[in-house]
Amino acid sequence: MPVVTLYFDRLQKLVGRKISKEKIISELPFIGLDIEEQTDDHISVEYSPNRPDYSTDYGIALGLQGLLCIKKGMPEIKIKNAKYTINVHPSVRRVRPLITGLVAKNGTLDDETIRQIIAMQEDLHNGIGRRRKKSSIGIHDLDKISFPLTYGTVTKDHRFVPLESSAEMSISEIMEKTEVGTKYGHILGDSKKVPIILDSHGKTISFPPIINSALTTISKKSKNLLVEITSTDKNTADDSLAIIASTLQNAGFELFSVKVSGLGNTLSSLKPRTTILQPDLVNRILGLNLSVPTIVSSLKKSRIGAYARGNSTIACSIPRYRTDIFGPMDLVEEVALGYGIENLHPTMPHSSFAGEKNKITTTLDSISELMVGLGYSEAMNFGLVSKEVQYDLTKKNQSKIISVIDSKSQGHTILRDSIMPGLIDTLSRNIHEPYPQKLFEIGVIFTKTNAEIREEIHMACVCAHNDVSYSEVKSVLQSVLKAGFEINCETRMSSNTMFSEGRMADILVGNKTMGFIGEISPEVIDNFKIRMPVAGFEIKLTDLVF
Amino acid sequence: MSQVLHPIEHKIIRKLRDSAGLTYDELASGTKLAIDQVRRGLEWLKYKNLIEIKESEIFFVSLGKNGKDALERGLPERRLVNYVAQQKVRTLDEARTILPESELNAAIANARKNGWVEIKKENGSTTISLKDQTTNSAEEVLLSILKSKVQVDEIKDKDALESLKKRPDFVVFDSIKSKRVNLTKQGLEIATKLTESVGERKLTAEMLASGKWKEVTLAPIDVEAAASEIYVARTHPLHDVINEVREIFASLGFTEIVGNLAQSSFWNFDALFTPQDHPAREMQDTFYLENIIAKNVASLNQIKKVSESHKRGWKYQWKLSEAQRMVLRTHTTCVTIRHLAEKKPDEARVFSVGRVFRNEKVSYKHLVEFNQVEGVVVGKNVTLRDLMGLQTEFYHKIGLKKVKFWPTFFPYTEPSLQSMVYNERLDKWVELFGMGIFRPEVTKPLGIKNPVLAWGGGIERIAMLKFNLDDVRELYNNNLAWLRSVPKCP
Repeated sequence: MPVVTLYFDRLQKLVGRKISKEKIISELPFIGLDIEEQTDDHISVEYSPNRPDYSTDYGIALGLQGLLCIKKGMPEIKIKNAKYTINVHPSVRRVRPLITGLVAKNGTLDDETIRQIIAMQEDLHNGIGRRRKKSSIGIHDLDKISFPLTYGTVTKDHRFVPLESSAEMSISEIMEKTEVGTKYGHILGDSKKVPIILDSHGKTISFPPIINSALTTISKKSKNLLVEITSTDKNTADDSLAIIASTLQNAGFELFSVKVSGLGNTLSSLKPRTTILQPDLVNRILGLNLSVPTIVSSLKKSRIGAYARGNSTIACSIPRYRTDIFGPMDLVEEVALGYGIENLHPTMPHSSFAGEKNKITTTLDSISELMVGLGYSEAMNFGLVSKEVQYDLTKKNQSKIISVIDSKSQGHTILRDSIMPGLIDTLSRNIHEPYPQKLFEIGVIFTKTNAEIREEIHMACVCAHNDVSYSEVKSVLQSVLKAGFEINCETRMSSNTMFSEGRMADILVGNKTMGFIGEISPEVIDNFKIRMPVAGFEIKLTDLVF
Repeated sequence: MSQVLHPIEHKIIRKLRDSAGLTYDELASGTKLAIDQVRRGLEWLKYKNLIEIKESEIFFVSLGKNGKDALERGLPERRLVNYVAQQKVRTLDEARTILPESELNAAIANARKNGWVEIKKENGSTTISLKDQTTNSAEEVLLSILKSKVQVDEIKDKDALESLKKRPDFVVFDSIKSKRVNLTKQGLEIATKLTESVGERKLTAEMLASGKWKEVTLAPIDVEAAASEIYVARTHPLHDVINEVREIFASLGFTEIVGNLAQSSFWNFDALFTPQDHPAREMQDTFYLENIIAKNVASLNQIKKVSESHKRGWKYQWKLSEAQRMVLRTHTTCVTIRHLAEKKPDEARVFSVGRVFRNEKVSYKHLVEFNQVEGVVVGKNVTLRDLMGLQTEFYHKIGLKKVKFWPTFFPYTEPSLQSMVYNERLDKWVELFGMGIFRPEVTKPLGIKNPVLAWGGGIERIAMLKFNLDDVRELYNNNLAWLRSVPKCP
């Protein structure tokens, strides 16, 4: 989850009251923020990805103001009309058709403000921007730009000085040689022409969604900013723009509109949404009996605009930056947060249900009990295993491996088709523990037929000590099936690379093969670096006992 | 201290009563016990303070190179007198040729000392004449004794030994250390009371069958002696915790449902209103199965309604092909929602427990595969406070008494809460189960009318609290030392 750094002194200023550190720390979890790290002058908090408006201390300050009753109700975003325009050229249709933006003037930036803004930009890129695929943001020094701007395309030999560089580079070079180029270049596909934003003098402002021009880099000296967002989805772009608008306004900037024209692009309206909330829904879901004024007040503490309309409905205004609110149920949660989760007292719902465990579960538990009675201890291994243990060391047939795509852990790349290799591996990790070692495991295994996957429950057991023999484990097999299910099984000579030749059999119930049993071959035992003879069996329980 | 003696101890004590100060080997041959048994028995007896063991060093003497030579050819003094006798030598000068100068004087001195010869000065020359040369000297006697290695203490003629010791490389000494065992005062007291018959060590089936048991007495055994450790076979501790969770759910009126580990994306994500481009669905978080596609993910109506919900809520083009990709389930919620979509109950309490998978790097706090439990309550009048109440009751039953709630976010519930429980050992609040009410965007398309309370989380976290573990991997190491030592009822 994304993380925001909060300096206490800044946050106190933004909230507008000198609240103690302790108070801040105890209140933050109640607006849904998890404290990750704490030092003398700052804390780091994680925010949920559905609240990108909490990606800066400005956004978090708005939330705290509400909860602490310093400022309630919906914060308004004021955008003045202005003549800034961006003309969209039809050629962007295929690569990245949409653009929007705004201008922020007369503000001041310090290091921490710049850091917060850039961190927000990154979080928006990764979150709702889907790693810049859906939308990407450029923030520029307005005073370096002459309007109107053109959003169009250029070929890859177009040259400009990209951000954090001193020399001109061509688009091709940027895409091949810079970190952002290689990371995000794929978004543009194999298009020969790439999107570009040029100003009225033809100077390059940005090459979205990859990199800005060095020309418009913001610094502590910047007083006026241009924000542009290119995207493939209007709603996503407006979501981002609303969060940036709110943030910059709270940082002391005045906001002005930027008109976009061409290719169906329109001015972004960051007006709040209005909706109706039924108090009855709130009380039914929360299990409370709140009055309309209490619900209104709670919503306002959550920075939602609200007023009672008659006795039975509440009109709500949802600020545009609250991208997480879909419908009335989301507003119910806002009431709960405003009312205070700590004020909700748990109740026990009446129930006339008689609960029970699943039949399969209880059957498997009975088998465990029998195996324990036979002196076997239960092991628990993973279903997602390594090819080495499952196939290489056991010399098993590899033709039907089921793999997962792009596992981050080398030890977990394929699904097991048998439990026994894992148990032998368990023995190999316990060679220094006293023998005899007797283990069993019950679990799911996976098989594949014609690109369809099937899951079965198997049980396997292994027995390792100096006098272990085929007949010892056959006795166990017979006993557990007989004692558990009155099933008689037979064993028929077979062969399998995991076992010693002539000491391995298929397990037959009726005339169906349900598993295998035998003495593990010395070669496999040696592969696992075990220094003790091992015998065991594995049996399919699905379709046998349930 | 128990004074019941093991038969081994019995034999050793009796032997020591007869002859004190025996070595281990002597005890072994005297008692007909194996040397290992003797060692073990002495260990027990020493612990009971019935014997004392004294370490001593025993010195041995044997012939050196010149000694062996002398044994064969005679001592220089013997060779001198033999020569004098054979060659009828009269003067010393004539005798000089038989021996090297270095040995001659000593040989003459010794021959005189032994009374074999008489030396006189006559007419300016020194004469030598034989006297009683046939008697063996003390040195000669000792030399033949030393043919084989002899304990120094056993040699009576110490002067002869001194004499041979003075001669270069005639005798060599070596020693071995040995332990000798004696009875202590307490041991002696017991020894005097011992009877010859130990009694029968073991009652046998044969004795019982033949009636011989009537004639035998059973030897008392050391009932206080330590016994060797045996390991109890048992179910896995994590399995025990999972079962405890099952029992608690059942006791709260929940019925268990089960489902597959491999699921279509439709039930794992789409049915839960997770948009198809949501980061959680990316390969770095979720395990997709290679070359496996779900053919029939759901009914046509379910697919239609779910896709509409996505289009309306998330405003994008929903794709069936994406919903058909098979994943290893990332939560048990897919099992729950499938059950609810099929049964559409107005009232229900069900739970599901089992393995879930996340594509993460394995670490002390993350596994790629772990167990999750999830319970849902469906009902016309169920509330968020009820959900908190059920949660609190569950924690109380599992032994966690201090519980509090914080808001949080889950993609498919609204409102959502997370529960925090107080960990006494770490002295801090730890996050445990998450909970919420299924979003209308989830329930409505699937025809579920009443609110659904849902809550759940990882069972390993509870197990870690129970077994005081800081590393979640320990639960799956199957380390026998741990499995054999962890208490069944912590």
